[in-house]
Amino acid sequence: MTGLPEAGFVGLSAALVAVGLFGILTRRNFVLLLIAIEIAMNAAILNFVYFAAFAPTPGEGLAGQAAAVVLVGFAATEVAVGLAIVLALNRAKGTINVAEATELRL
Amino acid sequence: MSVTDVLATGAEFAPVLIVLGSALLAFLLDVVGVRRLEAVGGVVVAGTGVAFLLVLADLGLGFLGPLRTIPAATVNAVPAAGASPLYAFTSFGLVFQALFLVAAFLVGLASLSRDSHEAGAPIFYGLLGLATVGMLLVAVASDLIFLLLAVEVTSLATYLLVGYTRRGARPLEAAMKFYIIGAASSTLSFFGASLLYGAYGTTNLYRIAAVAGGVGYPVLALLGYGFLIAGLAFKTTLVPFHAWAVDVYDGAPTDVSAFLAGGSKKVGVFAFFLVFLGPVLYVHPGAPGNPFSGGPIALGPIVQLTLAVLAVLTMTVGNVLALLQREMKRLLAYSSISQAGYILLGIAIGTSPALAGATFQALAHVLSKGAAFLVVAGVAGLGVGPLVDDWRGLGSRRPLTCAAFSLLLLSLAGVPLTIGFVSKFVLFSAAVEAQGYFVWLAVAGLLNSALSVFYYARILRAMYFEAPAGGDAGAPPLTSRLAAGGLGYGRAAAIAVATLAVVALGIYPQPVLGPIQAAATHFLGLGA
Repeated sequence: MTGLPEAGFVGLSAALVAVGLFGILTRRNFVLLLIAIEIAMNAAILNFVYFAAFAPTPGEGLAGQAAAVVLVGFAATEVAVGLAIVLALNRAKGTINVAEATELRL
Repeated sequence: MSVTDVLATGAEFAPVLIVLGSALLAFLLDVVGVRRLEAVGGVVVAGTGVAFLLVLADLGLGFLGPLRTIPAATVNAVPAAGASPLYAFTSFGLVFQALFLVAAFLVGLASLSRDSHEAGAPIFYGLLGLATVGMLLVAVASDLIFLLLAVEVTSLATYLLVGYTRRGARPLEAAMKFYIIGAASSTLSFFGASLLYGAYGTTNLYRIAAVAGGVGYPVLALLGYGFLIAGLAFKTTLVPFHAWAVDVYDGAPTDVSAFLAGGSKKVGVFAFFLVFLGPVLYVHPGAPGNPFSGGPIALGPIVQLTLAVLAVLTMTVGNVLALLQREMKRLLAYSSISQAGYILLGIAIGTSPALAGATFQALAHVLSKGAAFLVVAGVAGLGVGPLVDDWRGLGSRRPLTCAAFSLLLLSLAGVPLTIGFVSKFVLFSAAVEAQGYFVWLAVAGLLNSALSVFYYARILRAMYFEAPAGGDAGAPPLTSRLAAGGLGYGRAAAIAVATLAVVALGIYPQPVLGPIQAAATHFLGLGA
């Protein structure tokens, strides 16, 4: 598998994780935060798929692909928990804006 | 895979399956309409208790021998070359399983004293069990993905535990903050793991140790370890990744805070041990199987220095901020952050006495800090306010509770005849033994211990030497329908057990410290 552009793929996942982290730091809407977290998580999944092509043995390559599939499932679980929390919060406070969560201060 | 293989694997995981079964049973009882706290709680507390005995038996405790679920030959067996198992049983991992189960058992036992008709009791105990399952799995992991997923099982359960009451904005807000920080940090961890997979071609920790002599991409590995440290540092509340912890411990129901500080934080600690010590031994450059000996960048010293700096920062910042706190729960939260720094010190030093000291420090923290939060929860139930000043004069009104609380605080401060002194003694002498700049780490640790005495002493002074704001007569009455000094039998028992253990292990630590030292020595031998 020598035809794959290494720098391009690693650059793509680095860009994805950068976009995700930027979103996590700047967004104030909980749902947008969830999307930002998902974007960053997809960078990790993409890495696993990509690096699997370079694995030393077919077994290790499969391990990477399996990790990618498991992570897709994990990401969905994580979002489900996040939405459960935000629904309860919306019912209690009537807002999903993270900046308005000010009951606890440093 | 034949039926007998499945059964054998099932037997190996018996403690995990028992806790999982009790957690699922708690949810099931909720569905069929049995919602009394005592009934549901009893199931999970019994489950964690039985699992604890089984783990002790697997550790080779003599009189529990017949209960052994893992064959003695399987424990501490290094996987054959070429094999890349997802899990492996080490005596060090079993020590941590026991430690996790102690935390879950104490919190579950104390929570039995809450209102019998409290809504959500099955959910609380079910999630407590699920979080414990994740913790038990972390302790047997030998693969990065398995490890991180097990960490996430714990995390997902604890996010929900913080907000499970669904009443009031405070706990839900804490749950939201916890969730955002936790989800972001798990993303960082997984991204780091994916880079390590790219650098080493495997996610198995034993394989990483074996193949990594000739890493083609040391920069990739360095970045991967960087992301992994950041992700795990969030879970372990290391400065500068600590800010969430205080808000979450403060906003969560206090019994949950006890579990977070005493139990689930140690998950990150063990993950640190597993990623940087054990199979992948980073501190002895040139040792066979060392991933850092090859390549143009020497990763070992870089990682070690990073961990040392984080440890000193964590201790100092946690202690200084604790000094400034007036609220009891937030003060304990900051002191919990500083304790994480002491534990990390052991990882940075990376010798076997240091690892044993860090593990013993983790045990000291589980007992002292976990039980301290349980006392705070019980005293809050008596109608005492959240500030340290609200505890004025409580020493004469609730002498036994305050005596136990004082012993726990003294242990956190590291006063002799408590477990906190022994653990710090072992840890700091290991730092001095290791020579080099580690001596300065010991000095930093000692100075920090001295600093921490100030704020613990302030609590003691409020309890014993200060009168309530309106004089003794003006103090608000302490009201509770519960037995055992208003704490309830379950909570009183949990606090008593923890306090006795704190003192007993402070006077005669060898029965527990000995096995921990043996396990730590063996754990470090895995990578050699």
